[in-house]
Amino acid sequence: MSNEKYYVPHGTYWPIIGSIGISTLFVGLANQMHDVSWGWPVMVLGFAIVAFMLFGWLGTVVNESIGGIYNKQVDRSFRWGMSWFIFSEVMFFAAFFGALLYARTLSVPWLGGSDNNVFTPELWEGFKATWPLITTPGEVGQNGTMFSTNFKLVDTWGLPAINTALLLSSGVTITYAHHALRSGHRNALVAWMIATIALGVLFLGFQITEYGHAYHDGLKLTSGIYGSTFYLLTGFHGFHVTVGVIMLTVILYRIQKGHFNSENHFAFEGVAWYWHFVDVVWLGLFIFVYWL
Amino acid sequence: MDFIVIAIIIVIFIALGSALIGMLKGGKEGSDKMFKALRARISLSVFLFLFLMFASYMGWIEPNSILPTQ
Repeated sequence: MSNEKYYVPHGTYWPIIGSIGISTLFVGLANQMHDVSWGWPVMVLGFAIVAFMLFGWLGTVVNESIGGIYNKQVDRSFRWGMSWFIFSEVMFFAAFFGALLYARTLSVPWLGGSDNNVFTPELWEGFKATWPLITTPGEVGQNGTMFSTNFKLVDTWGLPAINTALLLSSGVTITYAHHALRSGHRNALVAWMIATIALGVLFLGFQITEYGHAYHDGLKLTSGIYGSTFYLLTGFHGFHVTVGVIMLTVILYRIQKGHFNSENHFAFEGVAWYWHFVDVVWLGLFIFVYWL
Repeated sequence: MDFIVIAIIIVIFIALGSALIGMLKGGKEGSDKMFKALRARISLSVFLFLFLMFASYMGWIEPNSILPTQ
């Protein structure tokens, strides 16, 4: 907070490296989807460039921050930046939850002939609207019939409940870490952070196991509207937990380096909020997929 | 029963939103607001999970897993 004028970033090469990385990543991805042989390695190269850019750019920001060249104006801009990022995340998951609710409460019943809609049972003869619907109308189901409607979900009190307990526990441990940071208890802070990261990793391990079970039982990304929404929601959530674990690890490293104090720790706050958000998304998933 | 569960989820979202406003504000006041809201958020979430277990045990609510298989 050395000067109160708006901080103008100096010339930097990170944005152009980011642009090259993202372009390479998507050129690789598009070609990989068209089964072009060099698509996959180009995609990996693009990903590596993006990772290098993130590491370098964020490292520069961290060094500038602890170097004391940022002022209150920059602090505000970071908070607003994080808030808009969060807004985009909320909208992202709202769209997937919206798709799940729309399919379940509107479009599938319509296909079954409810609400005097244009989609009548005559459109797909023999179709009965049930949930979870694991075959797209018109396709032949796994059991050889046109519609495979009733499907046993993963046992709610098995892995899903264990995973919910794990993620909620990580929400508790990060709250204790937050409290320890605010009251200046460094050792407790480190211990609670390690516990949070460990619980996050454990969650991911169990999630992979659950995917294995579900896939083995015949629930795939192509298993109708239920399979698609189930894997998209839980898959993107798992991706967010992975990113969260990486961010928590970086924060732990920065705690060890002594970057934060009880009053000044915005980076911790941003990551803590993100982790709480990921936790709430899972709770929503657990309730709307397995309970309501 | 569904109404109670959804009502608690809405309150959890309000707490999360309140924490976001605290973070946006910054400073001592904002930091306090954020921490208290996040603490309320996790307390409510744990309560909801335990409530679901209890409600399931009492037979007030049944999980979706009880569905006929083909």
